[in-house]
Amino acid sequence: MTVSVKFDSVTKILGQSRAVDNLTLEIAAGELFFLLGPSGCGKTTALRTVAGFYSPDEGRILFNAQDESRVPPHKRNTGMVFQNYALWPHMDVQSNVAYGLKMRRVPSADKEKRVKRALEIVHMLAYAERMPNQLSGGQQQRVALARALVIEPDVVLLDEPLSNLDAKLRIEMRTQIKDIHQKIGRTMIYVTHDQAEALSMADRIAVMRRGRLVQVGTPYELYTRPESAFVAQFIGGTNLINGTLEEIGDLLTVKTQAGVVRAKNGVKGIKRGDTVFCSVRPESLVIRPAAESSAIPSRTTNQLLAEVKSIMYLGDNEQYSLHLADSVMMHAVEYNVSARKAQVGERVALQFDAQAVVVLPQEELGD
Amino acid sequence: MTSWLRRHDLNAANAAVLLSLWLFFIVFLLYPLGHVFSHAFFTSEGFSLVFMKLLFSSPNYTIILANSVNLGLAVTFFTSLLALPLALLLVRYNFWGKGFLNGLILIPMVLPPFVGAIGMRQLLARFGSINLLLLEMGVISQPIDWLGGGRFWGVVILESLHLYPIMYLNLAAALANVDPSLEEAAKNMGANRFKLFTTVTFPLMLPGYFAGAIIVFIWAFTDLGTPLVFEYREVVAVQIFNMVTDLHQNPMGYAFVVAVIALTLFFFYLSKRILGGGSYEMLGRGHVASAARPASPSMTIVAYAVVLMISALALIPHLGVLLTSVTSRWFLSVLPSEYTVQFYVSIFSHDLALLSIKNSLLLSSLSTVIDVLLGVTIAYLLARKRVPGRGLLDALAMLPLALPGLVLAFGYVAAFSATPLDARANPVPLLVIAYAVRRLPYMVRAAYAGFQQTSVVLEEAAINLGASPMKTLYQITMPLIFANLVAGAVLAFSFAMLEVSDSLILASKEQYYPITKAIYALLGRIADGPYIASAMGMLGLLLLAGSLFIAGRFFGRRMGELFRA
Repeated sequence: MTVSVKFDSVTKILGQSRAVDNLTLEIAAGELFFLLGPSGCGKTTALRTVAGFYSPDEGRILFNAQDESRVPPHKRNTGMVFQNYALWPHMDVQSNVAYGLKMRRVPSADKEKRVKRALEIVHMLAYAERMPNQLSGGQQQRVALARALVIEPDVVLLDEPLSNLDAKLRIEMRTQIKDIHQKIGRTMIYVTHDQAEALSMADRIAVMRRGRLVQVGTPYELYTRPESAFVAQFIGGTNLINGTLEEIGDLLTVKTQAGVVRAKNGVKGIKRGDTVFCSVRPESLVIRPAAESSAIPSRTTNQLLAEVKSIMYLGDNEQYSLHLADSVMMHAVEYNVSARKAQVGERVALQFDAQAVVVLPQEELGD
Repeated sequence: MTSWLRRHDLNAANAAVLLSLWLFFIVFLLYPLGHVFSHAFFTSEGFSLVFMKLLFSSPNYTIILANSVNLGLAVTFFTSLLALPLALLLVRYNFWGKGFLNGLILIPMVLPPFVGAIGMRQLLARFGSINLLLLEMGVISQPIDWLGGGRFWGVVILESLHLYPIMYLNLAAALANVDPSLEEAAKNMGANRFKLFTTVTFPLMLPGYFAGAIIVFIWAFTDLGTPLVFEYREVVAVQIFNMVTDLHQNPMGYAFVVAVIALTLFFFYLSKRILGGGSYEMLGRGHVASAARPASPSMTIVAYAVVLMISALALIPHLGVLLTSVTSRWFLSVLPSEYTVQFYVSIFSHDLALLSIKNSLLLSSLSTVIDVLLGVTIAYLLARKRVPGRGLLDALAMLPLALPGLVLAFGYVAAFSATPLDARANPVPLLVIAYAVRRLPYMVRAAYAGFQQTSVVLEEAAINLGASPMKTLYQITMPLIFANLVAGAVLAFSFAMLEVSDSLILASKEQYYPITKAIYALLGRIADGPYIASAMGMLGLLLLAGSLFIAGRFFGRRMGELFRA
């Protein structure tokens, strides 16, 4: 059975700090749900309260509307994949995988069949009799996954499962885990600090910061409609331009030191006169020679003057670092790299559509 | 109440276990010590410093205190002298057979000086091997009375030869910790080898040196077996031993024990200050490359010569024991004139010998069982739970390391007299508990190390898959820390078998004598007593060496950590 998971005003205090602070969140049955945030944001603590390793100091954890807060971890039927895999070094691969079934007193014929199938799913059947220390990191990771899945858990919990793998393998495993999720259709809660992982895999993502929930949404919503500068910056990376909100109409007009920026989107609750950030993604910036751009094409296109500081060539794209008039640093990405758009030291015009700008309340950044 | 338990991550069973642990420590550690203190400072008229004053003013007592302090200082000095060149050679140079020499250096530690003293007495007798050898070689014309006026030095030599490995372990660790780049900086500034050592290397080693020196000093200060065998009675340990029997008439024993405790505490406080205060080793810790360099052939020869010579010296007493045990006639000759195995045979027919072996096996087994149970429980609570009073529990479990066996045994006799546990009626329960308490720190350390090496995530993984906490402990944790448990248990068992001061003080009746007390009793008998004692000593040595070998197998390189402060 797969279940929905609900955090109901959950607070967990570890030492002096509120590791999870009044978290309310609903995860639908069968969803591949991500908890994303910088290290120390409380995402792992939140996951461990679902597993039952921590019981909430305030609030409740509900599985299918049933309060699980005081159920000990070994009676919860969650399958967890640990960051360091936690394979028992004194048991071979199949004993590791069979362990949870043994605890559930599954008859041995059935047990063997299920272990075999779980190992098949993760392509590790050939290694059933190896000891964990004879496996590579990626193989250990897959065994850990099989061990969590074989018990047919109500919820699969993954705690930064890919963080110890090399970059290439990590990207391979993303697809594999997503495939497995589709195949078994169980609720999965996946903790990571890697926004690319979250964006590429998640049904929905909850972004956390300092123990609190910042924003929940699909990858598309989070990327295109961040509700705070923190989310805008954490997911995908962005340019933040300081300014004051001057007018609210069909477009928002923000006065910055580099010039006026018009935006289509703004967060609810900002007022005229507020100091704000204008968030523009690097790929939304178009670099034009300064001379050509004396006339702005339309009211919905912004243009700011800048000087190219450095160019980094990455094969499929070029990354430009530029300074605006008040020496605010901007990053632009150019995917058409056949022709250089500008040289270092050259003055250029940065153009971007008002649709690509989100106006966000100012806040302190960093973790 | 339940919320309090939950905050500390405890269930009712944990709490009950914790409570009984506290009870155990209070009854068998704090209460006896408190009892000693109260009798040292309270007379029937209330608080009084009269005994303490007497201890430090009466010439009868001050000379005893002075003897013991001198003994401690002399042993510390000689062990430093022996250990420092060894540490420098073995830490700083790599050469063929280094591991073998390293092992050789540690051997004397496993040979209790109490047993060695038996052999030494034979060698140092008025017409013993050494005097005869010196006479034959013409070095002396009159035999030296080693066991008369020279008894102090006899004890010093034996204890030094026993304790230098402990000093070596501490010095070697300290030296290995000195950042080579700090020394390179000194060389770069123009320091020659001698200057380099005196101004940089040695000052940086000091904390480690003090740690070793304090252990050695206290060990020598409180060692009972060696002075007893040498009949060197004017030391604190022997005085306390003698005073146990008539505590009611003469409360000075309490005062002596308090003095020993105060001294011990002072030194451990000092070592904490030195070790805690001098945190300069934390500075400049960029990289720690190995400071060992390949030795030149001549340096290799020097290293071998030094190690072999010191080891040979250290083994002389035990050679004496071995020779005594296999001889039937050894008078007026350097080496025995006839050899026999009859005394090894007679161990198993001699009433006292056989009985004492049975007693020791029983007592040590029981105490080891207690150690394993307590040690694993305490280590588990310390490593895995946020129990209230965690620091205090840790301190109590480690306290016996700093507590001389003499003090504990004395406290037991005094505190439990006229109770069901009275040692004079039946010493078995107190002997078992004394052995267990004394070796508990080793067991706790061994188990704690195991818990620490075993990532808690491995346990969580099992719990997550539905194993109860108990099942997890048995199926995951225990198998993973099994090696540590075996090593700790083997150590606890073998040390209990050869425990000296507890056995001498607590075992009151012949029918309960453990091996060590039987050896001591046999030594005092004329006829074949000393020979059988030697044979038993040899058996004890073999047992201890064998079990340390086994423990070393399980522990690997970390064995030395157990013997450091």
